[in-house]
Formats: sequence, C-alpha cells, structure tokens
Amino acid sequence: MVEITDVVCSLCGCVCDDIVLEVENNKVVKVKRGACSVGKSKLLGHERIKSPMIRENGELKECSYDEAIKKSAEILYKSRRPLLYGWSSTVCEADKVGVELTEDLGAVMDNTASVCHGPSVLAIQDVGLPSCTLGEVKNRADLVIYWGANPAQAHANHMKRYSYVSKGYWTAEGKKGKKLVVVDVRKTMTAKMADVFVQVEQGQDYPVFSALRAILQGHEDVVPDKVGGVPKEQLLELANMVKEAKFVMTFFGMGVTHTGARHNNIVNAIQFTRAAHLHTKASIMPLRGHYNVAGINQVCTWETGFPFAIEMARGYAWYNPGELSATDLLYRGDCDAAMIIASDPGAHFPGESLKHLAKIPVIQIDPYANPTTEFADVVIPVAVSGIEAEGNVYRMDNIPIRLRKILDTDYLPDEEILERILTEVRALREKEGE
Amino acid sequence: MQTITLKLKEAVRSGIAAVPVEVDALTPDQLFGKNEAELKAVKVWWGNREENTGDLFDVSVEGDAGNAEEVKIVFEGDLTRVKRIGDGMKAGEIEARGDVDMRCGAMMEGGKIVVKGNANCWAGREMRGGELIIEGDAEDNLCAMYRGEDKGMTGGKVTVNGNAGELVGQYMAGGEILIKGNADRLAGLNMRGGKITIESDAQWPGSDMTGGEIVVKGETEMTPSFKFVETATVDGVEYKKYLGDLAMGEKKAKGTLHVK
Repeated sequence: MVEITDVVCSLCGCVCDDIVLEVENNKVVKVKRGACSVGKSKLLGHERIKSPMIRENGELKECSYDEAIKKSAEILYKSRRPLLYGWSSTVCEADKVGVELTEDLGAVMDNTASVCHGPSVLAIQDVGLPSCTLGEVKNRADLVIYWGANPAQAHANHMKRYSYVSKGYWTAEGKKGKKLVVVDVRKTMTAKMADVFVQVEQGQDYPVFSALRAILQGHEDVVPDKVGGVPKEQLLELANMVKEAKFVMTFFGMGVTHTGARHNNIVNAIQFTRAAHLHTKASIMPLRGHYNVAGINQVCTWETGFPFAIEMARGYAWYNPGELSATDLLYRGDCDAAMIIASDPGAHFPGESLKHLAKIPVIQIDPYANPTTEFADVVIPVAVSGIEAEGNVYRMDNIPIRLRKILDTDYLPDEEILERILTEVRALREKEGE
Repeated sequence: MQTITLKLKEAVRSGIAAVPVEVDALTPDQLFGKNEAELKAVKVWWGNREENTGDLFDVSVEGDAGNAEEVKIVFEGDLTRVKRIGDGMKAGEIEARGDVDMRCGAMMEGGKIVVKGNANCWAGREMRGGELIIEGDAEDNLCAMYRGEDKGMTGGKVTVNGNAGELVGQYMAGGEILIKGNADRLAGLNMRGGKITIESDAQWPGSDMTGGEIVVKGETEMTPSFKFVETATVDGVEYKKYLGDLAMGEKKAKGTLHVK
C-alpha cells in the first residue's frame, strides 16, 4: 500500500490540492484526507465504459479504438455544421487540440460554460471583473456574500478552504470574525448558516442589485419600500454591512446566472461590487462548476480570442452566445453532427435541444457511461484526467494547477484521441483532394 | 428600377438539420451591375461550405438599375434559417417575404429593409443608418451591440409593428426605435443616446442608462433607482418624467424615462 499526498481533485471548480490517498494494486482504496464526499466518490472510482463502441442497427457494438476514431472522423468530415461540445472535465492540453480540430473542420465549438457561467463571461465582457484569488479571500474577507449559490451542498469544501470558515492571515479567528450573507429564493443549507438571509423573489435579483447600488451611491431616497420582495430596511442593513466591512467578497452561482435578467444580473452584481468600492474593498467571483470549465474558457480565449460559443465556419472565429451556444444551436436544429467530450448534455440540456441531438450522428468521448451514451453513435472511452492522466486545469479563480497521474491505465487520454481524429480528418481531406 | 427575386429552394431545408444560409453577400449595393449568370455565381456561406447563390435560390431579375439605390431584392421561400439579410447594406431596398433569421439589417448604413413577418435576434445590430421595418415581432437584442462592444445602434430608424424581445437598443447611442407592442426586459439598457418609444408595456426599461430618451405608453415595471422629476407632456400626452439611472451615480444619470 502506498500513501500519496497532495493529490489534486478533478471534480468541481474548487480543485482542492491537498488530498491524501491510499493506493494498492493500482487502485485507490482509501481517501484519507482533503476531499469532500462528492470528490471522494470520484477518486474511489466507479463503473467505466469498457470498450470503444459503434452503434449498428440501434445497438452499440464493441470495436477497436482505430475503428471508432476512423468512424468519428468520417462523421465530422462529412458534416456541414458539426458541433464540438463539452471540454470542461478534461485538461487544457486536450482542449487545445479541440480548438485545432474546430478550425480544421469549420465547426462550432462550445463548452459547458454556456449552460453554467457563460452569462458571467458575457457580463465580464460588458463591465470587467474586479476579482481576486481564493487565497486573498481566505486571508482578507470579513464579509462573505453567497448570491444564488449553495456551496454547503454544491461546493462542499469551498467555505472551509477559502471563505467563511477558513482561517487566514488577517482572519485568524475564522468564522468568528466574519459575517455571512446569503441571498437566495429559498432557505438553503448555506442560508441556514448565514448571519443575514435575504430572500428575494424568483427572477427579481436585478432590481435588488440596482437598489443596493443606488443606496451605496447615496440615493436611498429614490428606493421604494420593497424591491424584489426584499424590504427596504433589509437592503439598508445589507448596504451598511458592506460599508462597515474591510473586505467584501461576493460569490455567485446559477441562481443568478440563469434567472430573470440572466447575464445582466451579473453585470449588476459586478456594478454592485464597484459601488461598494466607494466605501471599502470589495471583490466578486463566479462559483465555477466543472474543475476545468475556467480552463477551457482560458484555452479558447488565447487560441481564438473568445471564451465559448465560437464558430469557425468561415475560417475565422465568430463568437455569439445565443446564436452559437450548444443549447440554442440544438434547439433550432442548426447542426448536423455533434461530438460530445467530457460533459453530459443528455442529463443537462433542455428536452427540445436533446430531441435534435438524438436525431443527428453523435460521437461521445468520456470515461463513464451517462445519459448521452444512450443516443451516441460512436462511444470512445478515455482515461480519467487527474487519476489516470495528467495535465493543466484552471481553478475557479483562474489559478492554473497541474493534475497528477496516480494510476496506470490502458485507456487513452482525451488529448491522444483528439489528435488521432484530427489526423484522420486531414487524411480524408487529402484523399478527396487527389 | 430593378427587382431581383431570390427564392430559397426547398431542398436547402430538407436535410436532417436546419443549417442556416448566410446572405450578407446579397445586398443591393453588392449585386448592382451583375447580370443573371453573375448573380447566380455569387458565393454565399451555407454552414462550413461556400455555395453558388443559384444553387440555393431560384433567381429571377426584372428591369434595369442605374445605381444601387434602384436595386430591390425580394427574398422568398422559407427564410427562418436565412441569416444576415441586408447585413451591412448601404443603399437600395430589400423585402423579405416571411419570418427571417438572425442579424437582419445588422450594421446597416443606408437603404430600406421591410420584413413581412417576424425577425429573429439581433435585427438592426449596431445599425448606423437607413430604415428597418419589421411587420411582425422582433426577438431579443434588436438594435443592440455585438457582445462586448460599447455602442449599439447609432443611427437610422426602426419600426416593429408587433412585440420586441429583451434588450431592445442595448448600448444605443443614436437613432430611433418604435415598438408598437410590448418590449421585454431591459429595453434601452446602458443607453446613452437616441430615442426608444414603446407603445405598450415594458419591464425595467432604461436600466443603467446615461443618456437618451425612452417613452413607455403602457404599463412599466420600473428599476428602483430612477428619480421622479416632474409631470411632463410629450406629444400632448401627460407622463411622469424620471431621470436615471442613479445606480450609475448622480453625474452619469442623464437619461430620461417617460412613463404613464
């Protein structure tokens, strides 16, 4: 038995890097420290796709890697508008090959940000982002606001490692010296821990931010008695807490990115952070979901200039969420083939979008079977990044962290599969040119 | 006067997917002076491939034109997946007989477009001049800016006979928009110039506006950071006049919002 320390967890955007494991006979037998219950479950491993498969007469039949890769290349090369979607649960090295494949095919490339923090990215492009690292939050923040987010259940280590509960240089007392505010439509597990819980009506976050900004700008006189279901007294109380804090940290989640004014909620949240700067130091950060969704945004941005929802049909990058985001594209029935990698739209996309995905040829690249497998026409199993393959990922505060390889495997890593598909596509083009 | 009729072939819409055709190459100023054979050879993008206009559309030409102003293009057939009709057009006229896809009249500088149906998102995006008439509804981002740009529409005139979606005239800096029906959330968001008139209802119009004018004749759900100034009369009708948006700070809050 071997004990391995400083293992990096490849589950959520927290990317915890202090995990201690016990490995015996090339298998993780125990997670000793560091991981939350969800991370632990991934590290201990579960059922895998056994072999590459191609669907014939409605049934998935086992085949070789070579056959599956060749079939994938044929589907993509033939397509007039292929969608290459996912990318958030793999490493940046694989994502980079994905961009190259997108360019080669003239495809649409989108990642899971488009059903997650894509709205936050749009907001950042409109008004910028006064942000910081999680280390800074841990060491400085004395007022932590979770808005439309429930880390107690979704990012289980977040409060302990980085925010409300953690002890840092200027926050040595931990939560004793801090205040926690939760804004949500219902009293979540996180809200139960809060000093102040602000219950906002569904879809009404936008005017609540506007009211807080007006108050912080010194115009509380124009704010009505109730905004978005929140009494004015509570808005004034919250504004006062902001004014009195030394360092205000706002984290936000899907509760604000996908309701009401959506990305403009985030514009308003960022502007609220700016208004707080009239009184104190404040910062804001999206609670990213997949462990490398921040990374695929980084890779896409440095390769194409844009973070997600990119089309390369005309040989240059055109970016437009709403037009090129995967759910919209599928909802409209705009693409005629899809490659799904390191994500599971089968479980997460709206029904109408899935109807089209079920109709067109789909290639799935993933370590695990999931609802997407049910309609995939080619299934290619891969090594699990962070357990069987190494590579770089970006934590939710855009800090790059290198995932380690802990176990040996016969499965190929995402990067190699993508490189081989790209080679096959180029061979097909050369053949046609002859 | 010359009329070029382009009817989308049914075969284009018969595949497993509805891959859009992009027709930004087919504006009066670009087609002026071309004979029928030349028109049919103009390249348009259909997915990741360029095709001949004549392979995707039935093309017919009637009459002659002395300049681009005298060219009228009529689009027919199922246009719900025909994008960028009149994108960047400078002169002449386009008539689209049916519902059109995204970015109709985007970056338009002059001439006139009439859509005899609904227009999908980003119609009149960053429009600079000319006239756009949508006889049905307009979806989101009408006359708004491209993602991340700091200016939407800067000139020209847009009329929507039906309803409009979210973010009408976002970052608008000039020109005029008339919505005869409702406007969904955040019309005139970050607006700094020009005028938007909404004849029916609106939710949170003028948020973060720093200039320009919005008139809402129906019901308004207000953003809570506007300051009531006075009762004012516009075109003989009495409105409550507000200044805003104070969420931007007092110095920047120079937008005018007239509501019932």
